[in-house]
Amino acid sequence: MEISIQNLTKVYGDYTAVNIPELLIHSGESFGLVGNNGAGKTTLFRAVIDLLEPNTGCVYIDGNATNATEQWKSFTGSYLDENFLVGHLLPEEYFDFVGAIHGIGDADIKAKIEMLEPLFNGEVLGGKKLIRDLSKGNQKKVGIAAALLFDPKVLILDEPFANLDPSTQIRLKELLKMLKHDRGVTMLISSHDISHVTEVCERIVLLEKGNMVKDISTSSETLKDLEKYFAGAGVAESAE
Amino acid sequence: MILTFVYLAGSLLVLGIFLDDILINIPIDGIDFNTYGRSFVLRRLDQFLIYYFFFDFIIRYFMQKLPAMSVQPYLHLPINRSSLVHFMLLKSIWSPFNLIHFLIFIPFMFELFENLDFMQAFGWSTGFTLLVFASNYFLLFIKRTSDVDARVYVGMLASLISIIALDWFDVLDFQALSGLMFNALFLHPWTLVVPLFLIGVTYGLNFKFLKANMYLSKLSKVKKNAVSYSGNGVLSRFGLVGRLTELEFKFIWRNKRSKSVFMMTFLFLGYGLFIFPNPEYAGNYLMYVLFSIVITGMFMMNYGQYLLGWEGSYFDHVLTRNVSFKDYYMSKFLLFAIVGGGSMILSIPYAYFGWEVLIALFCVFLFNMGVSSHMVMFFGSMNPKKIDLSQTTVFNWQGVGAAQFLMVIPVLVLPLAIFGLGYLIWGDMGGILFLGAVGLLSLAGTKYWISLLAKWLTDQRYNISNDFRNQ
Repeated sequence: MEISIQNLTKVYGDYTAVNIPELLIHSGESFGLVGNNGAGKTTLFRAVIDLLEPNTGCVYIDGNATNATEQWKSFTGSYLDENFLVGHLLPEEYFDFVGAIHGIGDADIKAKIEMLEPLFNGEVLGGKKLIRDLSKGNQKKVGIAAALLFDPKVLILDEPFANLDPSTQIRLKELLKMLKHDRGVTMLISSHDISHVTEVCERIVLLEKGNMVKDISTSSETLKDLEKYFAGAGVAESAE
Repeated sequence: MILTFVYLAGSLLVLGIFLDDILINIPIDGIDFNTYGRSFVLRRLDQFLIYYFFFDFIIRYFMQKLPAMSVQPYLHLPINRSSLVHFMLLKSIWSPFNLIHFLIFIPFMFELFENLDFMQAFGWSTGFTLLVFASNYFLLFIKRTSDVDARVYVGMLASLISIIALDWFDVLDFQALSGLMFNALFLHPWTLVVPLFLIGVTYGLNFKFLKANMYLSKLSKVKKNAVSYSGNGVLSRFGLVGRLTELEFKFIWRNKRSKSVFMMTFLFLGYGLFIFPNPEYAGNYLMYVLFSIVITGMFMMNYGQYLLGWEGSYFDHVLTRNVSFKDYYMSKFLLFAIVGGGSMILSIPYAYFGWEVLIALFCVFLFNMGVSSHMVMFFGSMNPKKIDLSQTTVFNWQGVGAAQFLMVIPVLVLPLAIFGLGYLIWGDMGGILFLGAVGLLSLAGTKYWISLLAKWLTDQRYNISNDFRNQ
């Protein structure tokens, strides 16, 4: 299931938030997006899953234009922020609901949740707290788990590592690697933490002010390269 | 919202301007107070002011919110702790529950200055103002402490009840007492020291309490109720749409504001008891139709007006999940049908007042589901505003816009017009049946109406989700 972005621009006033002439994320590729605040990562993600209207261009998942069709929703798991969480439900009820949408039976959902249990690190499940009363980190665990629940072929996560406790960060990384190798899931992941992305993603694109400035296949040198870039960008910005 | 506010404020102002005329022209015990002359007005008013403040306190207790100022962002800054407390306390003066009194009484005070000695008018006006503020601080103190200490609550309740009892059994003549107290303000202006003393005490109590309790752990005391897992209910048997409706019921039940909308619906089931026993309305079919609209349409209108706004906090979920907008609207339709139908069934005992009531209920229900529901869903999807779910409905105008007022047309005006049309052609019963027939006809097209709504939401999805994200 490949993701293809064609001629995508999003402009706010005279500020161009995203400008991507062409980007093809191959089927089964783990794709990382890095960039400073305001680089346009979240805007790009929202455009990909049809949460905002681009000025030009279109995004195709497995050949389906995301703004004109609905099929992609059945195999695309996404979690960008708390706006994806139904706050008045318990985590278990939310999982049941998401499962039901995808036609998964109750017993299967239980099994799936058990598989994802390590992510929760003993929190979240079995509590009597509604999702809206959970801490930020635990909310994120619920959101990511819900995106993974129905064995998506495409996975889109914005800043999945932020706010997570160290144990969960490590387990999530392992889980993502497993999904790529065993299931061939196409992944689109953004992060401020470049060490996490380089560890999980085989390809990394660097976004700056809405433009793709680097497109790298991850190697042992990548982390150093990126660190150098961001240190430089920081210096350049403070000199301005 | 601004219109509503202007209307309310205007009404109070008008009341204030004519207060003296009203007071003098209402005869009590057959005495015409006009013969006493206008200077009597103030004494007459004074006799009732104690009740005024008493009821004001009760209303404040239930409705006035503790001024929400999060002190957390300031605590670590080099600002004197006392200044913060003073600021919080002074800010509370700007509550509508204080200002409302001045809308009524400022015109009245003007008249006092015209008709009385300056000192007298000054004494009364200042005394009244100070007492409003003292009552404000007294309430805040009671509310703050009763939140923490149940004994305050019990004590307050006990004193309220004993005051009512004392008055009821004429143990104490509150009218005379009130007259004595408030008359003193203009007869002997030096008595102003009493309200000054009261405001000092109440302000001081608040100050002391807040200063001592201004620690994060104490102030951020938000009660979070434990919720038990509830599995799939009956509705999940109706497939995905049923699931969505079930989600909606959980939503209604677990949020304060939607829950009070729901409870209100049950309260209105008693509406018929005010109409039907009245012989004047017997055989009045227009009344039957109005009654049926209220019974079967109340929830639809009150809940449906914020149709999308309720889900503003997770609208991105609504957009990205694997559920078509048709199913989405269908679940809302099912919700209206269940609650409206339920209310109808619970109202069957009203048949005691005539079987025509049943026919009216059923026909209006058909019309509601066939026609009004779709229009409510449409208006409820227009320019929605995210609803803050932690607030109750009482005096809550958040989310109210022009679309909410337009809603009156489909829910109230349209059925009445159609009934009227049928009435002109076929008479009373004909009008009601006509209403039902129109509803039934439109009900057959439910799928089409829903598809129109879904198409509309598809066109508007970017604007709506963008608005929600920025609210």
